[in-house]
Amino acid sequence: MTTLAPPTADLRRGVAYWWHSYRMMLRWQLVSLRLVLPVTVMVQVLTGAGFVLALGLFFGQVPPRAALFISTGVLVLTLVTIGLVLGPQLIAQQKAEQTYDFLWSLPVPRTTAALAWVTTNLVLGVPGMAVALAVALWRYDLDLHVSPAIVPAVLLTLFTGTMIGYALAHALDNPMLIGAITQLTIFLILGFSPINFPADQLPGWLAALHPWLPLAPMADTVRAALTQGVVEDVTRSYLVLGAWAAASVAATALILARRR
Amino acid sequence: MTSAALASPTLRRGPGYWLAGYRWMLRFDLASSRSWLASFVIVQVLMGAGMAIIYGFYLGDMPPAAATFLATGAPTQALVPLGMAMLPSLIAVRKIEGTYDFMWSLPVPRTATAASSFTIFTLLALPGVAASLGVAAWRYDLDLRVSPWVVPAVLLVSLMAASVGFGVGHAVPDPGITNLITNLIIFVVLMFSPVAFPIENFPGWLAAAHRVLPFWHMGNVVRDSLTDGLVPAVGTSYLVLGAWTLGTWLLAAWAIRRRR
Repeated sequence: MTTLAPPTADLRRGVAYWWHSYRMMLRWQLVSLRLVLPVTVMVQVLTGAGFVLALGLFFGQVPPRAALFISTGVLVLTLVTIGLVLGPQLIAQQKAEQTYDFLWSLPVPRTTAALAWVTTNLVLGVPGMAVALAVALWRYDLDLHVSPAIVPAVLLTLFTGTMIGYALAHALDNPMLIGAITQLTIFLILGFSPINFPADQLPGWLAALHPWLPLAPMADTVRAALTQGVVEDVTRSYLVLGAWAAASVAATALILARRR
Repeated sequence: MTSAALASPTLRRGPGYWLAGYRWMLRFDLASSRSWLASFVIVQVLMGAGMAIIYGFYLGDMPPAAATFLATGAPTQALVPLGMAMLPSLIAVRKIEGTYDFMWSLPVPRTATAASSFTIFTLLALPGVAASLGVAAWRYDLDLRVSPWVVPAVLLVSLMAASVGFGVGHAVPDPGITNLITNLIIFVVLMFSPVAFPIENFPGWLAAAHRVLPFWHMGNVVRDSLTDGLVPAVGTSYLVLGAWTLGTWLLAAWAIRRRR
C-alpha cells in the first residue's frame, strides 16, 4: 500500500505568502466592487463638494470660523463614511446573500482581508477628500496651514473608522440590524458630532461626551494638521483614537479567530 | 348548446364599485406594510425631530427671526423624503421582486390603487411633521401663530410629495434609476433648497430654478400657516403646488394606463 502525497507542497506562512495573499485580496475586493466603485467615488465627491457649497446657502454671509470648520470637517466625513457606513452594509449584504462564509474559506491569512479592506477605503476616500478641499479653497478664503501631521492624521482617522465599522459588521449577525445601525451612524456623524461645526454649538452634555468617542478626535487631528490655533491639544485626540483603533482591531481578531 | 354563465354577475364600474376597490386596496396596502410601518413611523419622527435640531447646531447662536425661519422649514423637510423617496423605492422594490405586475392584475380600478397609495403616504407624513414642529418650538422657544391653514397646507404638501414619488416610481422603468433619482432628490432638498434658509442666499440661477421647482413653495405654504408676515404672496405657492400635483397625476396616469 502506497502512501498518498500531500495535496500541496507550498508552505502557507511567512512574509512572502502573507504579501502575496494581501495583493490577491486587494485585487479580489477591487474587482468585486467594480460596479459599486465608480458610483461610490462619485457620491463621495458630490457630498464632499456639496457640503462645502451648501454652507454658503445656509448662512448667506459665511463667518470665517464656520467656513474653516466645515472645509476641514468634510475631509473627515469623506474619509470615514465608507468605512463606517458602506463597509458594514457590504458585509451585511454578504451575510444576507450567504457568501460571507465562502469569503472566509479562501486560503489567505485573515489579516490580509482586513488590511486589503483598509487599503480599498484609502483608494476610495482620498479622491473625495481632495475634491472637497479643492472646492473649499476655491469657494472660501481659507487660512490653511498644512503641516506634515496631515499624513498620520488622515491614515489614523481612516484606519480607525474602517476598523470600527469592520468590527461592528463582523460582530453582528443580523443584516437588518447592521443596516439600521449604519443609518443611525450617518445621522450621528452629520448632525450630532463636532466635525462640521465647533463643539460649543452642541449641548453641554453631548460636547462633554464627544472627547471619549472616536468622531471628535478624528476631526481634531485632521483639523490640527490643516490649521493653526483652532485645535489646542491633539496628543489626547491621538491617544483616544489609537485606543479605539486598538480596541476594534482586537475585537475583529477575536471574532474572526472564532471557529464555528 | 347552452351558453356558459358569466363568471361574475357584478358590474365592474360605478362609484360604489370604485369605493369598494379603494377600501380593499387600502386594507391590502396597510396589511402588506405592517412589517415596516411601525419602525418607519419611529424613524420618521426621529428624522423630523433631528432636522429641527441639527440645522441649529450648524448655525450656532441665532437671532429669534432666523430660528423661527429655520424651525418652520423643518416640518416640510421632514415630509419630503417620505413621498419623494420612500414611495418610489417601495414601487422599485416591487418591480425587483416581481410583485409589481401582480398588483396591477388585481380586479380594482387603477385609480383606486393610486388613491390608496396617496392616502397612506399623505397620512404617514403627519407624525414626523408634528414631531419636528414640537421639538423646534421647545428648543428655540418660538412664537408660532398656527392658523387653520395648517391643515390644507400640510395635506397639500404631503399629497404633492407623494404624487411626485408615485409618478417617478411608475414612469421610470428601471428600479436602479429610480433609486438614483430619489437619492438625488433627497440631496437637493436637504442641502440646496430654500426651505430652511431664505431664497435670498441663493445664487440667481438657482433661485430662479426654485421658483419653478416645488420645494420652495412647499416651504412657503407650511411656513405661512405657522407664522405671521414671513411669507409674501402665498397664493402663488398654492397654485404652483396644485400644478405640480396635477402634472404628476397626468404622468402617473400615462404610466399606469400603458399596456404591455
